[in-house]
Amino acid sequence: MDDLFANPFEEDAPEAEPARPAPTRRAPERRIFSVGELTAAIRGTLESAFGDVWVEGELSNCRAWNSGHFYFTLKEDGAQIKAVMFRSAVRYLRFTPEDGLRVIARGRLGVYEPKGEYQIVCEHLEPHGLGALQLAFEQLKKRLQAEGLFDAARKRPLPRLPRRIGVVTSLDGAALRDIIKVLRRRHPNAHLVIAPARVQGEGAAAEIARGLRQLGRVEGVDVIIVGRGGGSVEDLQAFNEERVARAIAACPVPVISAVGHEVDVTIADFVADVRAATPSAAAEVVVAAREEFCARIDRLTDRLRGAMRTGLQQRRGRVHVLASRRGLAAWPARLALRGRHAAELAHELRSAVRRALARRDRTYRALRLRLETRDLRRQLAGMRARLATTDGRLAGSIQRVRHRSDARFRALAGRLENLSPLAVLARGYAVCWNADGTAVLRRATDVTPGAHVRVTLHEGELHCSVDRTTLNYDS
Amino acid sequence: MTPEPAIADFDSAIAELETIVKTLEEGDLPLERSLALFERGVQLSRFCHAQLEAAERRVDILTEHGEVKPAPAGLGLDEEGGRSR
Repeated sequence: MDDLFANPFEEDAPEAEPARPAPTRRAPERRIFSVGELTAAIRGTLESAFGDVWVEGELSNCRAWNSGHFYFTLKEDGAQIKAVMFRSAVRYLRFTPEDGLRVIARGRLGVYEPKGEYQIVCEHLEPHGLGALQLAFEQLKKRLQAEGLFDAARKRPLPRLPRRIGVVTSLDGAALRDIIKVLRRRHPNAHLVIAPARVQGEGAAAEIARGLRQLGRVEGVDVIIVGRGGGSVEDLQAFNEERVARAIAACPVPVISAVGHEVDVTIADFVADVRAATPSAAAEVVVAAREEFCARIDRLTDRLRGAMRTGLQQRRGRVHVLASRRGLAAWPARLALRGRHAAELAHELRSAVRRALARRDRTYRALRLRLETRDLRRQLAGMRARLATTDGRLAGSIQRVRHRSDARFRALAGRLENLSPLAVLARGYAVCWNADGTAVLRRATDVTPGAHVRVTLHEGELHCSVDRTTLNYDS
Repeated sequence: MTPEPAIADFDSAIAELETIVKTLEEGDLPLERSLALFERGVQLSRFCHAQLEAAERRVDILTEHGEVKPAPAGLGLDEEGGRSR
C-alpha cells in the first residue's frame, strides 16, 4: 500500500528527488494518518501551494447550475482538472463558456474533503486568443443569427413621414446634439421624443432596452433612433448586449441603430432595421424619405401647373388662330358692323326696289298720260302692246332685283353664321361681357367684386354678379 | 360641381395627383374637365404638403415611467436656432 500510495507523488515531482534512491529509503518510523487527517494535510498542501494559479486548457463538461454556479472540466490530452466557478464570479463573465473552447483560467486549488476530490475554484476565465468581449460578441451574434434576428426579411421599411421620432440616447451626449442639429436643418417641424439612457457603463444596456420599450409604446412615435457617439469597443459594449438586441427586435416600430464608430459593427447594428454609421446619418436617413416626397410632390405640382398652362395656352392659341383668321377676336364689333351692313343692305334693297318701282311707275304714268292725251287710236294698239311689253319687263326686272338681293342677303347671313361665336359656344366656351355688353372680359381684374357681368352661353345668357376675382391659374 | 371626394391619406393623395397630372398632360379634355382636374390637383398637392409639414416642432422627453413631458429648457437643445417647444 505504501508503495502504491507513494509512487504517484514521486512521479509527479521527479525533480525533487533527482537521485531517485532505492525504495529502501523509508521514513524511520511509521506514521499512520486517518483518512481525514491525510485529506486535511493534502488540502493544506494543495491549497497553499496552488493558492493562485493560471491554467490553460480546453473546456469540457460545461454545466450551469440553477444555483448560478458553473461547473466544468479543463482538459488536454491525457490530463484533466475539474473546476467550478461560483455565481459571484460567473456574474463577471463576458462570454458564455462552451465545450471545446480553449481558455485560460485563474483560480485556486480547492479540495473537497467528503469526496476526496480537488478542483480549481475559478475566479476568472478568459478565452484563449480572442478577447472575452470579442468572443462574447461572436457567440451572441451566432446565436441571434441562428434565431433569425438578423434576417433581411425582418427589416421593416422606415416610415416616410414619421409623426414623431423617438431617440434613445444620453441627454448630454454628442449623439443627441448631432441628431437635433440635422433635424433642425432638414425638417424643422420634427417632433422628437427622447428616452434618456446612459450609453456606457454598468446598467447602460438595461436603460437602453427600457427606453426602446417605452418609446415603442408612445403614441405617434413611428421610428426610433438608438445610439451614441463614437468610443472604444468597451464604450460600445452596451450595444453588443443581448438585452439591447432583444429590445430592438421586439420594438413595434422600425429602429435605426446609430453607434458612432467606423470599423466595428455592433450586435445592435445587426438587429436594427436600418444601420446608420453615426447619429447624424441616422437623422439624415429619417428625413431623407420625407425630402424625397417633398421633391416628388413639387415635381407633380409643377407638372400639374405646366399641363394646365399648356392646355390653356393651346386653347388660347387656337382661339387666337381662329380670331386672326376669321376676325373672331373682333367679332362683337364685326357682328355689329355686319349687322349694320345687313340692315343697310336691306334698306338699300328696299329703296332700290322702291326706286325701281317708282321709276317704272313714273314711266307707266307718263306713257298712260301720253296715251290719254294723244288719243291716237291708231297708235293705241301699238302703245298697248308696248305697254304690255314694258309691264312684263318691269315685273321681270323687279323680280330679278328682288332675287338678286335675296341671294345676296342669304349669302351674307350665311357668312354671318360662320362668323358667329355660337359655333365656339356650342363647344363649351362662354363669353363674358361687362354689364352693358359693350366689352368682352379677358382678365379677372377687368372687373371688381360686386360688378355685374353677362355670360353668353351656347344657349342663352347669364347675368351674374362677381363674388371674387383671382388670377391664380397661372400663378 | 360635384362635391370634392375626401382625401383618404397621403398615399392615395399622391397616387391621385399622379393620375391627374398624366391625364392633364395627355390633353384633349374639355375645358371644364381640365379645370376641375386642375383644381383637384392643386387641392391634393396642398394636402400632401400639409402632411409633409404636419409634425409640430418640439422636443419631448420620457420620464423614467415612460410618460411624455416637454423637454426642459436649458437642456442645451435650443442652441441650433430652433425652439424646443
